[in-house]
Amino acid sequence: MNTILLTPNLGKVNGFAALRPRVVSSGKQLEKSVAAAGRETLWISADAGMTVELLKLVRWPARSLGSALLLHKLSVETLGALQECFSPIAFAPPGGFLSTPELVAALRAKNRADLVLCGTVDKASRTVRLFCGNLDSLVVPFSAFSPSGDGVAPDFDRFSVADYGHTVRLGKYEAAVDAILYEFDADYRRRKAKERLRSERGLGASLRRLRKERRLRREDFAPLAAKTIARIEQGKIKSVRPRTLTAIAKVLGVKPDELEDY
Amino acid sequence: MPVELPLPKSLRQARWKVKIQEKESREPPHVSILRRTDKWRINLRTREFMNAEPDSNDVPDELLDVLRQNWSWLCRQWDSMYPDNPVVGEE
Repeated sequence: MNTILLTPNLGKVNGFAALRPRVVSSGKQLEKSVAAAGRETLWISADAGMTVELLKLVRWPARSLGSALLLHKLSVETLGALQECFSPIAFAPPGGFLSTPELVAALRAKNRADLVLCGTVDKASRTVRLFCGNLDSLVVPFSAFSPSGDGVAPDFDRFSVADYGHTVRLGKYEAAVDAILYEFDADYRRRKAKERLRSERGLGASLRRLRKERRLRREDFAPLAAKTIARIEQGKIKSVRPRTLTAIAKVLGVKPDELEDY
Repeated sequence: MPVELPLPKSLRQARWKVKIQEKESREPPHVSILRRTDKWRINLRTREFMNAEPDSNDVPDELLDVLRQNWSWLCRQWDSMYPDNPVVGEE
């Protein structure tokens, strides 16, 4: 993905260096970038003025200029025009984002769709809108953040995102992002179901099922290391040596060539 | 309020965190191990990693030792956060 960083403040560039962005800090550079941009372009704007300048360069009706991550305040009127050019768009008020190093790490992560970059709280509709690392968003009602047993309730005036996008903080209340996604993001549930299916097939899954059935711990396969058993169960070891397979089968009380059938 | 297990300096400096987070009442009792964008979950009932990814071998033995030493405390913390889904319950 081509990344373009809009900022008149070159001091901000270093924080985003890992994304190897093309830095745009003048009108001329902006004009060239708009002309070259396409669906695969990610625009990160750290400056409201430059975002507006960008919109002035667009020829309407707009073609897709890619996706956008807006790190500055945004008016509803500007958002409408932006939505004509960019999809998806992620935005939040100051304080609603991960810190810059965490934001950059989350944008580069393989699992970025499972991490939250930023969010906004709308007290009128009693909802929180969260933007994930792939810039897709989801809306979560206040009621989803139920107080835990120790009675700590979420404080919606103190929203932040932490732990590289794994945590949504509402004051002292910290919600696990994967639990939120599981409840409110159908794509996330489908991805997890696929992962589960993948891990339930093959030698690793059979070994795990049999081991649990026999009420054995991974440590019970000594002299094989517990970590080796874990790696086989997780499908990390694709080709298991016959000697290892025989040792495992012996502990489980099955024939080595039948191990995978369980 | 989330629970964070205090870790030795070397692990903290390497950005490891161990937490029991909120909004996890529907999951089996577990602790979350966080390092940068990766997250592992360990089941407090079975002591096993709950997900195939990321690789459980990437979690250092030193951290697993700290978990073992504090297992009972972590179980108590889970029970206090999720009294309707206690560690000693249905697997």
